[in-house]
Amino acid sequence: MTLDWSVVWQHRDALIAGTATTFLLTIATMAIAVPCGIVVAVLRLYAWRPVRALATGYVELFRNLPLILVVYWAFYVLPILTGLGLSPLATGLAALSVNVTAYNAETFRAGINSIRRGQVEAAMALGMTRAQALRRVIVPQALRRILPVLASTWVSLFKDTSLVSVIAVTELAYVSMQVRAQTFRVLEMLTAMAVLYWLLGYPQAKLADWMQRRMKVTE
Amino acid sequence: MEFDFAVIGDNWQFLAYGVWITILLSAVSGFTSLAAGLVIALLRLYGPGWLRVPCVLYIDSMRAIPVLVVLVWTFFALPIVAGVTMSPFTAALIGLTVHLAAYAAEIVRAGIESVRPGQTRAALALGMSRAQVVRRILLPQAIVRMLPAFGSLLSVTIKDTAIASVIAVPELMRQSETVAGQSFQPIEVFSFAMLLYFLMLFPVTRGVDRFYRRVAHLGRS
Repeated sequence: MTLDWSVVWQHRDALIAGTATTFLLTIATMAIAVPCGIVVAVLRLYAWRPVRALATGYVELFRNLPLILVVYWAFYVLPILTGLGLSPLATGLAALSVNVTAYNAETFRAGINSIRRGQVEAAMALGMTRAQALRRVIVPQALRRILPVLASTWVSLFKDTSLVSVIAVTELAYVSMQVRAQTFRVLEMLTAMAVLYWLLGYPQAKLADWMQRRMKVTE
Repeated sequence: MEFDFAVIGDNWQFLAYGVWITILLSAVSGFTSLAAGLVIALLRLYGPGWLRVPCVLYIDSMRAIPVLVVLVWTFFALPIVAGVTMSPFTAALIGLTVHLAAYAAEIVRAGIESVRPGQTRAALALGMSRAQVVRRILLPQAIVRMLPAFGSLLSVTIKDTAIASVIAVPELMRQSETVAGQSFQPIEVFSFAMLLYFLMLFPVTRGVDRFYRRVAHLGRS
């Protein structure tokens, strides 16, 4: 067995571009899924009953589906439903957003619910309106519970972007496997892919752990 | 736009085989990763000092690498290193276990550490050995407390088996892809696969929650 690691360096431009796409996907998905998650969580908590049921159904459905299936589904079904020829990147982004929105909605809901009811009642007894109580009492405390969870969702999302490689989005996993197929340097390229993900993901996972410890709330 | 769900009926045996492989792979890798996770957590907590760093490094690394990468590496690169050939199913089982055992180990550690240290000290003061404390005091309480986390790990396991389709394990995702490709009816086939996955996953998460509520009192102290 002869190994030729120079193949990794030769394709550095493609790998860097793939890494950039991976980060772009992660950032764009979170940018979509945080506001959407807040909307779904609020709908689920405070909306008119049928809307509430709909929001709950959405969250439960996507939390109970494998992401890779959602990606395939989006790839084949979105063009037919919308009549648009979406790029793989846009399709991948849509699938990831729909999935992460469901998880974020659950995070926000749990965060808001984790603050004892008594606090809202006390705030209202002091003459605050419901909106004021939410803004000044509930949200500041809930945020400290929500942020660490969002951080670990971020880490999962960063890894899950690799799944859109199945619909040919040119992110890190796709690019690495592409180079592998062209050069037949299987062990080198797959190891390089794993090491790159490790180098990128490890600090993020550690940062998420640190946030978890740092922001612990005790009522 | 018309839908024709006859394609499901025509291929039901093929899809049912996929469901069976999904369940089999989930059950076996769920079990192996729990067992491996328990061993790793105990080694990390009570093993020799020099083992602690490798254990933590392994756990954190697995939390940083996508499961797709682990599976692809196990199937395509490991045979080159180890000089053995393996079936996609075996590769998926190894890859999933290596990946999920890290998460299981974290759950076990958190469960054990959630039992107040006073109990350990009391048990040691009563003359129990370290192993007895773990076996008779810590684990019985910790296992009950770990149940919700294990439930979500099991549902993650089922979802992750779908990624094994990338290395051609004939589980539900892969079988659906094949049927969708041959019949040119991806909407019907993938939507049906969604329904099947939901029907497998939802009862697991709900069932574990319900079971936990019944036994939660056993873990209190």
